[in-house]
Amino acid sequence: MTQAPPARANPGLFQRNPPIAGEAEAIEAAKRGDGEAFAKLYNLHKRRVYTLCLRMLGNVSAAEDMTQNAFLHLFRKIDSFRGDSAFSTWLHRLTVNLVLMQLRKKGLNLVSLEETLNPADDETSRRDFGSRDPVLAGSVDRVALERAVAALPPGYRMVFVLHDVEGYEHNEIATMLDCSTGNSKSQLHKARLKLRELLRNPSQLPQSPLPSESAESTQ
Amino acid sequence: MTLPGNIDFDNLKPDEFEHILPDLFATGDGKVSQDPRLKKFLAANPDCAALVSDLETIAETARSLFEPVAEPSDRVWQNIQAKLEEDSALASIDDDYIDPSAPLD
Repeated sequence: MTQAPPARANPGLFQRNPPIAGEAEAIEAAKRGDGEAFAKLYNLHKRRVYTLCLRMLGNVSAAEDMTQNAFLHLFRKIDSFRGDSAFSTWLHRLTVNLVLMQLRKKGLNLVSLEETLNPADDETSRRDFGSRDPVLAGSVDRVALERAVAALPPGYRMVFVLHDVEGYEHNEIATMLDCSTGNSKSQLHKARLKLRELLRNPSQLPQSPLPSESAESTQ
Repeated sequence: MTLPGNIDFDNLKPDEFEHILPDLFATGDGKVSQDPRLKKFLAANPDCAALVSDLETIAETARSLFEPVAEPSDRVWQNIQAKLEEDSALASIDDDYIDPSAPLD
């Protein structure tokens, strides 16, 4: 399952991945084995693919290895890209599939049947529901949210990133994670509740730099 | 888990609301705070209204995370290039390959 499936009607994702000037020509040249075209496609999409890997894997080294893997896969399979969807959507889906495949190989149960990875997290989120604690006042700092997302349990993080950040629908996530649509909805809701709890109590957030901050600091 | 059709929105209890909230977010455009069926309930239950507002804020801010924030190190492209060159070298070996068992012309 390492090849991107045929294009799907996903207006949300498609609108967020508009065609890029010069990309179509680079794709055609890359199909003919043009090395410069490969380099151009890499430079156009490396940040997007790497950021996705980083969010899903939460680790710089693993994200770099996966980025390398995704682009190698892309260049070896670029003949199968027919242009039915935006190239970035196709590449994105390919990357998500590769990440999920690796996580499965490592034995990570992405969405447990109990719909929670840690019962304590679930209870905390539920207790939080009716509390009178300070609310988020209609805004969330982007960096704080990044930090909170990085602190989520892997199963919650995966569904939250796929749905709320990347724009996949629940039925697509259910197919990718091999779970029910209801399970995907439930995991997402619990992820958001957990994020709310973390954002209202910033002391609970890890103080170590984000993986992306670490990556930048090493360059 | 789908939204039951027989929900009495005018007499909704907070625990019932909590139960159907994931589906409320999953239907429509996810703007639960704008759902006319919930107007009365949310006005009467400020904690639930605050929860909805917070979860909507989190979901909206999450969309801004779509933009890439980080860049891989140069090592990644160097490795890709090396592998592609390796592929290319192997392909040319394949092209030049002569089957030793094939009869000579």
